[in-house]
Amino acid sequence: MCFKNLPIEFDEEGRAHLKEGVRDPYTYQTRSIDEQADKIQDLLARNGHIKSVDFDPVTRVAGALAFHSVVDLKERRVLETNSMATLFRGYEIILKGRDPRDAAFISSRACGVCGGVHSTTSALTLEMAFPVVPPPLGIAVRNLLLALEFWYDNPLHLFLLAGPDYSQAIVETTNPEIWEKAKKTAAPHADVHGYRTIGDMMTDLNPLTGTLYLEGLQMTRTAREAYVLVGAKYPHPETVIPGGMSTTVSISTFNEIFSRLSQLFDYCKKTVGIWDDLCDFFYDVNPEYRKVGSRPANLIDTGIWDDPFAYDASYEHCNEWGERRWATPGVIVDGELVTTKLQALNIGIEEFIEHSYYQTWDGPRFRTDPAGNPISPYHMWNKETRPQPTGQNWREKYSWATAPRWDRKAMEAECSVRLWNIAAGGVMPHRRFLEPTGKSVKIHVPESTLPAMDLEWKIPPVWNAFERNRGRAYHLALTTVVAFDNWLIGLDLLKQGKDKIHTAFEVPRKGMQIGAGFWGAGRGYLTHHAVIDDGALSNYQILTPSTWNACPRDPWGNPGPYEEAVLNTPILENFSSPDKYKGIDILRTIRSFDPCMPCTTHIHVDGTDYVISREVNTCACGIDE
Amino acid sequence: MSEAKRIFIGGVGYTNLRDLSVGPIVLPQLQQLDWPEGVEIDDLSLGGPIAAVHRFREASPYDRVVLFGAVARWRQPGQIYLYRWDRSLPDRDEIQMRVSEAVTGVISLDNLLIVGGYFGIWPPDVVIVEVEPCDENWGPEFSEPVRAAINPLIKAIHEAVLASSDRFPTSPAKAWESQP
Repeated sequence: MCFKNLPIEFDEEGRAHLKEGVRDPYTYQTRSIDEQADKIQDLLARNGHIKSVDFDPVTRVAGALAFHSVVDLKERRVLETNSMATLFRGYEIILKGRDPRDAAFISSRACGVCGGVHSTTSALTLEMAFPVVPPPLGIAVRNLLLALEFWYDNPLHLFLLAGPDYSQAIVETTNPEIWEKAKKTAAPHADVHGYRTIGDMMTDLNPLTGTLYLEGLQMTRTAREAYVLVGAKYPHPETVIPGGMSTTVSISTFNEIFSRLSQLFDYCKKTVGIWDDLCDFFYDVNPEYRKVGSRPANLIDTGIWDDPFAYDASYEHCNEWGERRWATPGVIVDGELVTTKLQALNIGIEEFIEHSYYQTWDGPRFRTDPAGNPISPYHMWNKETRPQPTGQNWREKYSWATAPRWDRKAMEAECSVRLWNIAAGGVMPHRRFLEPTGKSVKIHVPESTLPAMDLEWKIPPVWNAFERNRGRAYHLALTTVVAFDNWLIGLDLLKQGKDKIHTAFEVPRKGMQIGAGFWGAGRGYLTHHAVIDDGALSNYQILTPSTWNACPRDPWGNPGPYEEAVLNTPILENFSSPDKYKGIDILRTIRSFDPCMPCTTHIHVDGTDYVISREVNTCACGIDE
Repeated sequence: MSEAKRIFIGGVGYTNLRDLSVGPIVLPQLQQLDWPEGVEIDDLSLGGPIAAVHRFREASPYDRVVLFGAVARWRQPGQIYLYRWDRSLPDRDEIQMRVSEAVTGVISLDNLLIVGGYFGIWPPDVVIVEVEPCDENWGPEFSEPVRAAINPLIKAIHEAVLASSDRFPTSPAKAWESQP
C-alpha cells in the first residue's frame, strides 16, 4: 500500500519511512475559500430562486448539529454547504492529568447512546499502554457486549431517527406522486417482513404511531436487557475495564442473554427486507435518488470484535490481530480497499483545525509511532485540544468538530464500512456465519420463528444515502451473528472451565507510555489515543465517527462528508413554491450518516479546573457570511 | 381495611453534573427513610424515558407518581417548586423530538413527563418537586444554594407523597407561591 498525498513510502518488508529529501514533510499551504464564498454571495444577491436554507438544529439526530446550505430551487441543485457541530466535547481536557483508570468511566460519558464503545476503546488504549492482555473469555464477553450495544443503536437509527424520512407522513407531503405509487407497489420481501405493499411499510414507519417505529422503541429494551446482564448498566457500563471485565459470568448468564439474542434473529431478517425494499423502490421510482447523498466511496474503519485467541493488545502486532477481527480494519479510497493494516491506517490520520474553534498546539512530541513508522504533527498522539471559539463565520471557523483526514482525504465513517472491508479484504477468519466473496458478504442468520436465511450484502456501485441506510440494516445482521458466534465461544470456554475474565495489571507510575484503542461505534470508526507520563494521563484524544462525517472544510477548502454529500444531492422534492420547500432530500442525506454529535457541552477555562457547560452551545443563527 | 396507596417516587438527573445530579444523588437518602406502605423509590434516569415507559407499562398501576430533580428555568438558585403536573402535552412534532432526545441520551424531567405522558404511563396524579440549579459544572458536589436546599427538598418530597395533591398548583410558575 502507498500513500498518495503524505510523504510516506513503504520498503519491501512493509516498513514505513518518510520520503528522502523532503525537508519539511508535513507542511502544507492553506487555500482560502473566499473566492467560492464571494461567488455564492453574488448569486444569492442576484437571484430570487437561490436561497439560504438552514437547519438549526437538525432534528432526529443525536446531539447538536446545525447545517447551512445555499440551494438553487430553479435548477434544483445545492450550491454551498456548511456542517456545524454546535457543541464542544471537552473530555480530552477533563481527562488530562487524571489516573488512567478513570478514562473508561469518564470517556463513556461522551455519548448517551454509545457510552460502552467509549469505555471499551479506553480499555483497549490502556491495555496497549500498560500493557495487559485480557483472557479469552474477557475478550469474547466484550465482543458480545459491544454487539448488543449496536442492537440498541442501529434499530434506533433505522426506525426512529432516519426511518420517519421514508414514512407516509413525510413522503405524502414532500412527494405525493411517490406515495401514490408506493400504495400500489408490491413489496418484494413481503414473505419476510409481512408488508404487502411499500405503502403499508411507509405507514408503519410513521413517527409515534407506526408499528415499525414502536417496535424500534421496543427493541431498545431487548438490547438494554441483554446488555445490562454483563455491562451492569446502560449506556455507561460499570464492568468494562482494562484487562477484560470486572464481573463474573456463568452459563445461566449466557442463557439469559440468549433468550434476548434469539429474538434478534428474526428482527434482523425483517429489517434487511424492509430496507432492501425501500431503497430499491426509490431507485425504481426515480433513478435520480441514486444521487441523493452520494459521494466517492472514501471510507475508513478500524475494525472491531477481537479474536479471543489472537488479540495481544500490542501496537507491534496490531496489523496481525487487527486482521483477525470479525470486522476487518480497512481504508477504502474511491471504492478500492487500499489497506487492512491498522498501523497504516493509524499513521495516515491527521486532524486539522483551520475551520474549527481551536488553536494550534506545540510540538510535535512524537515523530514516529511505537513501531518506528512516521507520524504527522497533526496525528492524535501529537494533537492537543485547545478550544478557541473565535472568528465565527463560514469563511473562517464554524464548527467544534475538527477536520480529520486520512492521507489528506476526507473519509467517511460508517458501520457498513465493516461489511465492505470484510467483503473486499477476504482476510476475516471467522467463517461460521460469515462468508466474504470479494464483492459481497454472505451472512448466515440462524433459524428462529423465521427459517434460517442467507442474507447477502453487496458492495454497492454507488455510495449514497440509501446505501448507508441499507448497509446499516445489514450491519444489524452482521452484529447478530457476531454476537451469536461470541456467545458460542464464551459458552464453550465456560464449559471447559476457562472462566477467567480479567487479567490483573499495575498502572506504571514512572516513565512515559502511549496507547491507542482501535474500536468502533454504532456509526463506525472510533479511536482513543493516550499518552501517560509518570502515572497520569498527559494527553487523551478521542476521534469519533461523527467527527469524520460532520467535519468542516480542511486547510485546502475541501468539504467534509456531510457537506460533500449534500452538495451532490439533487432536489427531488415536489414543492409548489419556495416557501413550501422542506429540504427532505438534504435531511435524508444528513440523517443517513446517523449523526451522533457528542451530547454534553463542556469547556475548560485555561489555568483553572473550571468547566462551563452552557456558554459554548454555539448556534448557527449568529454566523455571518 | 383499605389497601395502601401505591406511590412511586422517581429521581431524575445526570450523574456527575453537580446540581443537575440532584435526582440520582438524593435518591439513596430517600431510600434510607421510613415511608408508608406502598411507597416505591427508584432512579428513573437510567435508560431514560423510554426505559421508564417500558417499566411502568408492566408495573401494577400507581395511585400517584412523584418525580423530582433539578430543572433549570432561570429562577432563584436553590428554590424548590412543588406542583401537580397539568397533563398538557406539546404538539406531535415536539413530542417526536422529545422521543428522539430520549433515546439518544438526554436526561430531563420535562422529557420524562412528556414522553411518559404521550405513551400513557402516568396515573392521574403526578406531582413534581423541582429545585432550581445554578452550577451545571461537572463533578459530584452541589453548589451552596442547592446543598442548602437538600433537606427542604426531602421535606417537599414527603409532602408530595403524603398530602392531597389538590392543594398543589398545576404549573411550576404558580408553584413559586407555595414554596415549602
